[in-house]
Amino acid sequence: MCMAVPSRIVAIDGFTATVEAFGQQRQTSLMLLTEDAAVGDYVVLGAGGNFAAEIVPEDQAQEALAYLAQVLADGQA
Amino acid sequence: MFPEARLEIVLRVRAGRVADVTVRSTRLVQASRLFAGRRPDEVTALLPTVFSLCGTAQVLAGLAAMEQASGLPPSAAQTPARTLLLLAEMVAEHGMGMARDWPALVGLDPDLPAARRIRAAMAAIRPALYPSGDWTRPGGGTLHPDARAISAAIAAARSALADLLGADAEALLADPHSFQLWHRYGDSAAARLLEWLSHPELAGFGRGPFLPMPEQGPADLAARLEADREGAYVARPDSSGRVFETGPLARLSWHPAVAAAIGGHGPGLLARMVARLAEVASCLQEMDELVHSLDEGQPPAACLVDGCGLGLVEAARGLLAHRVELEGGRVKRYQILAPTEWNFHPDGPLVRGLRGAEATDGLDERARLLAVALDPCVACDVTVENADA
Repeated sequence: MCMAVPSRIVAIDGFTATVEAFGQQRQTSLMLLTEDAAVGDYVVLGAGGNFAAEIVPEDQAQEALAYLAQVLADGQA
Repeated sequence: MFPEARLEIVLRVRAGRVADVTVRSTRLVQASRLFAGRRPDEVTALLPTVFSLCGTAQVLAGLAAMEQASGLPPSAAQTPARTLLLLAEMVAEHGMGMARDWPALVGLDPDLPAARRIRAAMAAIRPALYPSGDWTRPGGGTLHPDARAISAAIAAARSALADLLGADAEALLADPHSFQLWHRYGDSAAARLLEWLSHPELAGFGRGPFLPMPEQGPADLAARLEADREGAYVARPDSSGRVFETGPLARLSWHPAVAAAIGGHGPGLLARMVARLAEVASCLQEMDELVHSLDEGQPPAACLVDGCGLGLVEAARGLLAHRVELEGGRVKRYQILAPTEWNFHPDGPLVRGLRGAEATDGLDERARLLAVALDPCVACDVTVENADA
């Protein structure tokens, strides 16, 4: 499934952010976001992970991460 | 780390032709099983965050399944509002493809400002319909449509798309002559791509036997999902052995511009790309009309009973099906069948379009173009192994 992993922004350099999810960091572009992002925000990444697609509220992100952790633990991932 | 889902397509060439195509998918087609035990509203609230590309379609399919299962029909006012949400996502997704992915196919940089303008315009529709944000509520959220804001958002998307294409999408598809002039002389990435794809060796590439998805899905869809305890059907669906093509070409093969491309070159690369353009244009027209049907709507009193339901939605990439079984007001079983499983099936339209293709120079590029035309919802790698080499 085209599942999105909410990732927390840990650093921003221009239009590039370093994001973290499940203990792994990666870089992604903020160019497609329609609102300003800040360190600490959660974003979901589009397919391939090159672009952040949208900012999601923290409670929503945490709930999705808890579900995705369950998917990982269950061996569905 | 959380593994990233991908598709790996391998073409094996023997005696100058594509003898065999394998598709390896690491998509998590069974993850929805873990919705079991949750309340219906918890699932529909979770769906847009875990499915970023087609979150709206996922929610609407989930709502339709939940509402059918629980005997909670949405009020009449919800239908045009939900259709608008779905069309807005379709415009945003096709617009993203045209602004971000199409330029790379002709060696140009992506037009990210245009992509952002289209996304921002379409993102404004949801709060203009459901200002309290409860659109994922089974039975329907609180509707207070702001028709002026919605019309402005549609106009903004239309204008961003016109800048991107270098022409008004609806006008350029209105007659074959305008369309031909646009791609022959236009200098936008989309016009150059369509001009390139109009060459006979590319236009018909990927035209295998065309099996368009029936309008309400295969007749055996509900029964096959119900019987699918192991998840084999949601990973590799079929209907009496037939694997349908779903998405813009299947939906819009009647459209004059699409029909002309099919008539000239078959249901190949050109027809599939023209169908994407035609779809974005027809979505904007339909959105204009829907603005006049909007009305206020209050959420119903919750009345959840047990049962099972099937929700079908035509998402940007094709037919999306959700099936749910509710027991004691909670989800007992949840299944999702996504369009990519049809289009990238080992016997589906991508593979049928590649099998037997001549292995002349540029085969890998043509195969990648076909994958882009069928628009998978995850990253996709294409490699060619040549036994003749």
